Amino acid sequence: MPRSEALGRGMRLTGLAADIRSEWRAGNRARLARLVVVALAAVAIATFVGSIMTGAADASLANVWRWLIGEADQALSIRDRIIILDIRLPRAVLGMLVGASLAVSGVVMQGLFRNPLADPGLVGVSSGASLGAVLLIVLGTATFGPLFALFGFYALPVAAFFGGLVTTLLLYRIATRGGQTSIATLLLAGIALGALTGAVTGVLVFMADDKQLRDLTFWGLGSLAGANWTKILASAPIILLSLAVTPFLARGLNAITLGEAAAFHMGIPVQRLKNVAIVSVAAATGASVAVSGGIGFVGIVVPHLLRLVIGPDHRYLLPASALLGGTLLILADMIARTIVSPAELPIGIVTAFIGAPFFLWILLRGRSNMGL
Amino acid sequence: MINVSNLSVRLGGRPVLHGVSLEARPGALTAIVGPNGCGKTTTLKAISGELAPAGGTIRINGRDLRGLKPWELASMRGVLPQSTVISFPFTVREVVRLGLAAGANADAALHDRIAAEALEAVDLGGFAGRFYQELSGGEQQRVQLARVLCQISEPVTDGEPRYLLLDEPVSSLDIRHQLGIMQLARNFCERGGGVVAVMHDLNLTAMFADHMVMMKAGKVRASGAPAEVLTDETMEAVFGCRMRVGVAPPAPVPFVLPQTASL
Repeated sequence: MPRSEALGRGMRLTGLAADIRSEWRAGNRARLARLVVVALAAVAIATFVGSIMTGAADASLANVWRWLIGEADQALSIRDRIIILDIRLPRAVLGMLVGASLAVSGVVMQGLFRNPLADPGLVGVSSGASLGAVLLIVLGTATFGPLFALFGFYALPVAAFFGGLVTTLLLYRIATRGGQTSIATLLLAGIALGALTGAVTGVLVFMADDKQLRDLTFWGLGSLAGANWTKILASAPIILLSLAVTPFLARGLNAITLGEAAAFHMGIPVQRLKNVAIVSVAAATGASVAVSGGIGFVGIVVPHLLRLVIGPDHRYLLPASALLGGTLLILADMIARTIVSPAELPIGIVTAFIGAPFFLWILLRGRSNMGL
Repeated sequence: MINVSNLSVRLGGRPVLHGVSLEARPGALTAIVGPNGCGKTTTLKAISGELAPAGGTIRINGRDLRGLKPWELASMRGVLPQSTVISFPFTVREVVRLGLAAGANADAALHDRIAAEALEAVDLGGFAGRFYQELSGGEQQRVQLARVLCQISEPVTDGEPRYLLLDEPVSSLDIRHQLGIMQLARNFCERGGGVVAVMHDLNLTAMFADHMVMMKAGKVRASGAPAEVLTDETMEAVFGCRMRVGVAPPAPVPFVLPQTASL
């Protein structure tokens, strides 16, 4: 890149940072939020490119680029091409998709239940989705033959989606009475449902034969290590569709923070909003769990951090969470694959190490505002 | 005109309202009073469309409530609930502007002006940047009223009157703000809109209401001008409390009536 251009870009970024500082001081969160979304988009792109360029093996992005534009010697670039295009790129894409999906699911769920502690991982939606996936793997083609025939490699995400959907609907029925959600009931019901789905999953694992056990183990590691283009093809349409729906929910989720009755008074079709929100959370969580297993805490840490900076307005919180969620998951994955290199840590362990203490900190800090 | 005729409502299978009929005219402040649990709030919730009636009809400006979509209702009436808890850190400005988003898609400058005027109207002019959760109960109630005023910013639009449905709008306010908010409701009526308010303070009601509906055990017991409704007989029959209307206490006991205020 020519020096002057790099200088120009650097100055633009510094300018953005200065703008953000001045809006922060002026207390204008709407304009601040828009700037933060732009900044997060830039950071997400940089992280994405950075993660493709780093790894255990040495590979040159420049060589791949030259191959792409048809200038490089085919034989010379083949190793770089495989490492970057077939290993690192799908991993970064999957990280971005899953991170965005987990963070946005957290935002939507928290908006729907009007509480910053509601998260698909914490209240058992992820375990419900896991159960769906495990059911499919163990009972497999014998029982679900038609499902495989109908959905092909979408069968696993679809099974996880139904598992997540059933859990979310149950939770909603249990925790919400007359338009008011009891957060204590929600969290406790989540624990109970998580235990129940865990038990059923345990029974299925007990029933599984050797080959199925191998499948289960690989699937359940909670990792982006198995990323490939097939997994992306199976999950991306579902994740992107549920992400694309959420901007239309933003105004309704804002209104529903005042309660379901108040949202109705303000002209929101509340029942339809809830239906769409629940289905999109279940779909996004299901697809993420199907391709990467259980990765916890992204859905609670990312929205909470962003609310501290740009406030709870869902019009900005949703896109900002998608970008920061993707970025953080790629970073966590980079930690997971470098910290014990050449071996790899499951990414779920990394997010738990960062997320669990953070969650405790949220509890200590804001007990009075959580409705606990 | 809001027209409630022969309304009955069941909550959890239990009948709560039995054949309630009332009229709320534009240009008038209609107050619903009565003892705790008599169905005042339930009546207001039915008028807002939040509760589906088991029987009877409710019409707003001649249109049956059952045929109206949530967004159509939102352009005809605003609703102030008794209290609103928010578990996210919204600022006062953000809460008030939620009401705006429900209205027409007007330009940003107009929105800013309406929001600022609504906050001025409830005497919270300097509060826009404060956090809602950090305000007192009375201040939160006034923020919610400002939000409702943003939703229904004009008492009359397209030649049709708009309505404010207020559930105990002054219950947690100090006396100065009680008077201020009641005066605000009166002004809304004088400019052609209609107000239906559930009230507890009978003195304030007598002072500001044009029309009074007194309820007991899910039925309307008396209705009319405050002077007709507030009598020794209705007080005893409805509240079960022998009281004399319009009699000052004996000399050594101090008493303060809102009617004496000059703001």
